[in-house]
Amino acid sequence: MKRLLLMVLVCATINALISENASAAGISVDAGLTPPEDRWIIRTQFRYMQRKDDPTPMNQKMDTYAFPVVVAYGFRPDLTLMIRQPVKHRKMSMGGSVSRETGFDDLFVLGKYKLYRRNTREYTFGIASTLGLEFPTGDDDFGSETWDLEPGLFTSWRSGPWASDFSVAYKWNGFADRGKNGLNPGNELSVDLALAHQFSIGEKADMSLTPVLEFNYKHILPDRLSGHNVSNTGESLFFVSPGLKFTKSSFILEVLLQFPVWQDQEGSQLKQGTRLIVGTRFMF
Amino acid sequence: MIRYTFLLLILPVLLVCGIGCTAANQELATKSMEESETRVYEVFGMDCPGCHGGLEKLVKKIPAVQESEANWLQKQLVVTVRPEVELNDEDIYDAIRRANFTPGNRIK
Repeated sequence: MKRLLLMVLVCATINALISENASAAGISVDAGLTPPEDRWIIRTQFRYMQRKDDPTPMNQKMDTYAFPVVVAYGFRPDLTLMIRQPVKHRKMSMGGSVSRETGFDDLFVLGKYKLYRRNTREYTFGIASTLGLEFPTGDDDFGSETWDLEPGLFTSWRSGPWASDFSVAYKWNGFADRGKNGLNPGNELSVDLALAHQFSIGEKADMSLTPVLEFNYKHILPDRLSGHNVSNTGESLFFVSPGLKFTKSSFILEVLLQFPVWQDQEGSQLKQGTRLIVGTRFMF
Repeated sequence: MIRYTFLLLILPVLLVCGIGCTAANQELATKSMEESETRVYEVFGMDCPGCHGGLEKLVKKIPAVQESEANWLQKQLVVTVRPEVELNDEDIYDAIRRANFTPGNRIK
């Protein structure tokens, strides 16, 4: 029994070392309040993430390329449903050897409900609540193998060309079950703030260019096993993320760079590197 | 030689037809514009060009609407009404609300 427990702990530690679990959302999280009724939004992204500076002698480095595809639909003016399916490719270097894996991450479904919205001549302010559910559908190397629940709150303020969005979400990992070998992944708190200024292009104002500055904070609790924290798991991250967004009436192109200005990992874990997000949104 | 002669003969005919058709189309379009009514509404809550498409889509679903064009910067929606068709302002206000915006005054 003790040997089994030790094996699970070792596996969990290695898993934590190579995990890129900390997906600090960028480009204003899921972007805006509820869209108009009968509006379809298809959002695709390319995300590059890296883990480096291994504190152990294993000298590991990891590059992850993620391609999440999101389909959102405005069922009613106050209710939006969103489905996200990421595909990931991971390159892991350890010493002189390199391994590569490609697979599906977990399917994520999110409902967004408009709680309050006030539109005036001077400003627009809105609050929306979100409830997400992550299904354990991903491949072994990428999925969490747990049902995860993510309630959240989103606020938006717009005044003339200025915009600010604030969101907070708490991901309750394994709320209904346990993961691999009885391991319970640590819960995650995400806090995101985005500030933007929009420059209109064209006489009809049908295009705009928007510089964005985001602040993304993520805190991940250590994984739990048999009521105890698993060593070398859990971390806090803070990104400062400048970006640019080009908007047309039915198309958005967005780019964001995420710089990890502060990070604190429990035990021995790889550090977060700079991240890149390039995304498109088609709206019809 | 015969080919060139044929081209020389047919070209002026095509040109005359083209100009004639274009003029006729322009005349028709002008007539249609003269008959159709244009209304302008204030809309609050649009904050980027991405908002245009969603609102225009809902407004165009109204059978009496021929064309609609939103402008987030001017906070305006321009609606072209089909000739000889009644359009109730309340239908436009309802579409604006379903797009998550707030209707203001009807300017024109």
